[in-house]
Amino acid sequence: MKLAVVVQRYGATINGGAELHARYVAEHLGRHAQVEVITTCAVDYVTWRNELSAGTEVVNGCAVHRFPVDRERDIKMFARRSDLVFERSHSQHDELAWLESEGPTSRALIAYLRTHRRAYDFFVFFSYRYYHSYHGVRAVGPRALLVPTAERDEVIGLSVFGPVFRGVRALMYNSPEERAMITAAAHNDDVPGVVVGIGSDVPARTDPLRFRQKYNINGRFAVYVGRIDANKGCGELFEFFLRYVRAHPLGLALVLIGKPVLDIPEHPRVRHFGFLDDQDKFDAIAAADLLIMPSYYESLSMVALEAWALGRPVLVNGRCDVLKGQCLRSNAGLYYETHEEFVEALRSISDNGRLAEALGVNGRSFYRRHYAWPVIEQKYLDMLDTLKAEDGAGHPARALEPLRGWFGRRKRDLAPGKEMLGQLPTGPLLNGR
Amino acid sequence: MAEFNIRTDAVDVEQIMRQIRARIREKRGVDYTEAQIQELASVKLERFLDVKGIRSDLVDQFRRTRGVSPPLPNYGFEDTTLFDSHRAVVRWIRALLKPILKLLFNPNPLIHVLHEQSTINNLYAQRVYVRDELDGLYYEVIHNLVLETTRLGIEVKNLKMRVESMSSRLDFDERRARALEGVVQYRPSTATQRERSREQPDVASGGGTSPVAGPAAPGGEEGQPGMAARRRRRRRRGRRGRGSTPAAADGPTAASVPNSVSREPDRAEPSDIGPSSEPDDDGANGDPSPSDL
Repeated sequence: MKLAVVVQRYGATINGGAELHARYVAEHLGRHAQVEVITTCAVDYVTWRNELSAGTEVVNGCAVHRFPVDRERDIKMFARRSDLVFERSHSQHDELAWLESEGPTSRALIAYLRTHRRAYDFFVFFSYRYYHSYHGVRAVGPRALLVPTAERDEVIGLSVFGPVFRGVRALMYNSPEERAMITAAAHNDDVPGVVVGIGSDVPARTDPLRFRQKYNINGRFAVYVGRIDANKGCGELFEFFLRYVRAHPLGLALVLIGKPVLDIPEHPRVRHFGFLDDQDKFDAIAAADLLIMPSYYESLSMVALEAWALGRPVLVNGRCDVLKGQCLRSNAGLYYETHEEFVEALRSISDNGRLAEALGVNGRSFYRRHYAWPVIEQKYLDMLDTLKAEDGAGHPARALEPLRGWFGRRKRDLAPGKEMLGQLPTGPLLNGR
Repeated sequence: MAEFNIRTDAVDVEQIMRQIRARIREKRGVDYTEAQIQELASVKLERFLDVKGIRSDLVDQFRRTRGVSPPLPNYGFEDTTLFDSHRAVVRWIRALLKPILKLLFNPNPLIHVLHEQSTINNLYAQRVYVRDELDGLYYEVIHNLVLETTRLGIEVKNLKMRVESMSSRLDFDERRARALEGVVQYRPSTATQRERSREQPDVASGGGTSPVAGPAAPGGEEGQPGMAARRRRRRRRGRRGRGSTPAAADGPTAASVPNSVSREPDRAEPSDIGPSSEPDDDGANGDPSPSDL
């Protein structure tokens, strides 16, 4: 079986959530099938500037075909169009223009997909919201599988993505909440789908002491790993943590690992170490009392799964349905919505060793049960085998719905993305509830 | 504060979160989420605040009236504007005929006034722009004020409840302290016990009876301290009755006589009062016993 993984950016040093997800999947499916990666030359997800050479290279054993991005993102234009499609009534043409602004616009990549669509058995597209997925799915037709990595934001309310969700052969979801949201938005119940998620290459042994010595950390601490950004809930995290510090002068410190986009408060109990390599990151999580994940929007928190794999409890933002659902399903983490809940939950985990241990044990078990690589690989292989069998049995291919006509595309009859988002179901899912 | 009792196989995050929320409610009285506070601020403000002159829908009103003003139109007016044209020929003819026009009427005041008006329009537009900017700030300030006032109102209410609760607890503590003091007063004082222990060797030498030689069967009535004291007093009274005999002079020494006199008030000890006073020691009069405290 020959597979193509299509993703907006790809590389050993690119650590965005969906991109890392794609790389892990490509490398692990490479043990069972011939896998090639089709991507752009971009590294920066904001500008989509071409920083890598076009052509083919091999990354960790996978052949990677890179195509140049036609133009960098015009931030002002993108913001203006985002405001239009998310906040006001608009047309399908406006949504397509928004998609062009968002990028990464690579006509060469789409042309390659169109001309080589018969060279691969299946194309696995990552991140529904980008140009490459929307046009790529249309280019390869019934050979497309989609890993949506959908977050609960206004993009899911745009009408152009409905046909994509209904037109792909299968969907590989990250969480039950994501599945429920997409099903409600796109009415694609008849499309085969499975909640898979993603594993992580967690080392068998970690050395917390080495991390403590290297970074001169003596006391107990909570750790945050990821981009330090207001969009990731870090502003709220800092506010809540400083309240916790005032209430508990002898409590935990906060260690931040990641690239800062937001100002970090100056406080002796807030330490920032920038971007660390995987070994340091895993040692830091192992050395921490718990991991905090303050993000409002996540389709699946890989770092939370890594913390669970290392037997550490997590404290997550309860306003993120996916994170809250993961905590409830695993019984391996607490969540907060207000600063009081943050302080009390943090205190409960830090002061109650038995609770922390029990949550960690549950987390490790949850990870092994659902997110260990053999489990993930098997889910992908089962789905691919099913689709292959359907092809062999002459199953009729599902055609993508065509776009409206020239005038229809310009008719401003579509509701704002924000309004559509408000109509989707909310809350975590527990045993199908 | 109670901690969670955890078994690894029985961790229920939902239950723990319920306990955490209950703990927060205990701490602050009422559990309001941010959304609820927003709702209270916009809808039910008057229930929590004495809003003299403040409308509960103030923020909504402000939000409705506030809008981004479109840029105000203006027309630049100079001394050449009246005679201007995009056609050069027309412009030339107008300039040529300008002296004739000035014979008919004087356009200069008109030009001057319109030029001034244009300047005034510009100034006004600038002020409107500044005002728009300020309106945004006022909106934020008013919004935050209403929100914080609501929050403070709720907090004041909670604090009042806590003060009431604490004053009732204080009353209870005072009553308990008084009860404790009462219990301490009724117990035989250590000084009296010391006195009694000093006295016992004398009794032993006078009566020839060892203090431990009595029939103090453990648990029996005779073994109770009150009974033993009564028996000792009976013996003392018996000796006092024989005090005039020479044999009595061999008993208690002269120094011990005042002692035996000073023992008289001992009859007021609880054990001497009789059965009616015993419930006091047991706390049956409603005062808490020491073990309860």
